[in-house]
Amino acid sequence: MVHSATSLEAAHASIRVLIGEKLRYLVPMTVIFMTCYVGLTVLAAFAKDFVGAKIIGSVNLGFVLIAFNYALSWGLAVAYGLIAQNKFDPLAARAAASRDAESVK
Amino acid sequence: MNITLEIFAVILLITIGITYWAARRTATTSDFYAADSGLTAAQNGFALAGDWASAAAFLGFSGLTALYGMDGAFYALGPLVAFCTVLFLIAEPMRNTGKYTLGDIVRTRMQTRTSLLAVIAGTVIVNFAYLMPQMAGAGVLVRLLTGISYDWAVIFVGISMIVYVAFGGMLATTWVQIVKAVFMMTAGAIILVMILSMVKFNPLLIFQEAESKYTASYLLPGNYLKNPFDQISLGLGYVLGLAGLPHVMTRFYTVPDARTARRSVVWVMFLAGVFFACTTIFGLAAANFVGQDAIRAADKGGNLALPLLAQYLGGGKGSFGGDLMLGFVAAVAVATILAVVSALTLSTSSAIAHDFYVNWLKGGRVDGKREVWVARVASVAIGLLAIALGILAQGVNVAVLVILAICVAASANFPVLVLSLFWRRFNTGGVIGGMTLGLVSSVALAMIGPAMRGADAWWPLVNPTIVSLPLGFLGCVLGTLLAGRDFDNEKRFDAFLFRVHTGVEPK
Repeated sequence: MVHSATSLEAAHASIRVLIGEKLRYLVPMTVIFMTCYVGLTVLAAFAKDFVGAKIIGSVNLGFVLIAFNYALSWGLAVAYGLIAQNKFDPLAARAAASRDAESVK
Repeated sequence: MNITLEIFAVILLITIGITYWAARRTATTSDFYAADSGLTAAQNGFALAGDWASAAAFLGFSGLTALYGMDGAFYALGPLVAFCTVLFLIAEPMRNTGKYTLGDIVRTRMQTRTSLLAVIAGTVIVNFAYLMPQMAGAGVLVRLLTGISYDWAVIFVGISMIVYVAFGGMLATTWVQIVKAVFMMTAGAIILVMILSMVKFNPLLIFQEAESKYTASYLLPGNYLKNPFDQISLGLGYVLGLAGLPHVMTRFYTVPDARTARRSVVWVMFLAGVFFACTTIFGLAAANFVGQDAIRAADKGGNLALPLLAQYLGGGKGSFGGDLMLGFVAAVAVATILAVVSALTLSTSSAIAHDFYVNWLKGGRVDGKREVWVARVASVAIGLLAIALGILAQGVNVAVLVILAICVAASANFPVLVLSLFWRRFNTGGVIGGMTLGLVSSVALAMIGPAMRGADAWWPLVNPTIVSLPLGFLGCVLGTLLAGRDFDNEKRFDAFLFRVHTGVEPK
């Protein structure tokens, strides 16, 4: 473990890359679901007439937006699963590997 | 209603069989607290669904929708959206960092005994605030459904959960939750198909009939939550509170790695989410077919809307099909309570045995065999205490406790957890500041609010999260700044962060 200082540096550098990548996806995704959900509660709280506008038959905009929030949550969950598998997991594995490779020396 | 008891006896036999099987596989601490981290994503997803969907979800959402229209649908949506927060921020870091409890994460990060004590307090308070109304609800529900007296119902539920947890630990608790989730979703699927077949598979007709029967205002928001800020506060409480509920979050320790934890969240979002969405249909259908008056006559809060709907769909009162459907739904409701109270008992006993006894009192120097023994004894003691509190709670207004559980989870546990995972400067002072301010403001505001004081409340909101959550975060920041910088802790943060994101230590 002669190179422990440099291996630590390499490992932390690769973690910073991973965190940067996570922020790039998770910040917008979090903003989207929070805006849509909190936005819906704000509308329901302060714009009753707007939410009560009929869309299809007796179904009003409020119920349509609720259904949209269900679909959005599921969509984001699946998207996150794919992004994490394709982007985050390889980076995390590389960080762990760089640590192992360096510390063996 | 003998058929309820018969169906429930079958479910009870299954769960006792599970406990017997699990008890023989539960020896080490890892077995007891985390089912040896050996579950698959699908198994944990079903267990999470069984864990998170309490009787309030199974019966309450349909009932609220039946009586108050859209507000019930809001109640059902929040618990699904909450899993977005958990998926993006909490599930994987938690699996990577901790071992058995929420306390593990803060202890690993801060390495101070005081911060651990603060998290133990947060865990125990949230769990008991959640557990007591569940016990009281069990008493009322079992009495309504089977005619057994309130006290005996509470004792029966309490003893069942003690047996599951003390003997079978996490493995038994998990499979009780899985069985319950399967029964719950089977019941939901049958009811959904029967409703749809009655409206020629056109759900729009359900809305149309609801409107013609109860006017368009029934389908508007604000029938239940009169104060607009309560609407927002409730949403916030759900979406951030779930991540601070120890009995749900410790489920992520039952899977081997972060990837499986993530996939189990996706599972629960579809399993529980579809069920939550269906409760809106069930509620409207109950209002249409059974009628609000009949629902109110059976239970003021609307909690019997779903059982009554099932009875109607099966052929009505007195018919064999009606009795069978009612019995099935009622039995599933009792199983639901059992699954949730078991998880609460287990997570509280982990906090007492693992966090308090082993890590706080004994500095980690306790062998595994003794730790499991302490945890089993703790679960028996917690169960007995829950029975006593449940019996005392008869006739007492426990609504305030339901709000407190989720509010404290969002305002105290969530800020501390999130900042522990992601903020370099965060220190022991911050943990104490956040816990204290989050806890005190939640309790104080709930106590002076309408849930406790009714019409002469000094504070207008039923759910205080919209104020107490920012206060919790403020407490974290102020505590951190006042305590001064903890440079050792900040130096360790890089290594901690490595573990948060990869699950391994940087050597």
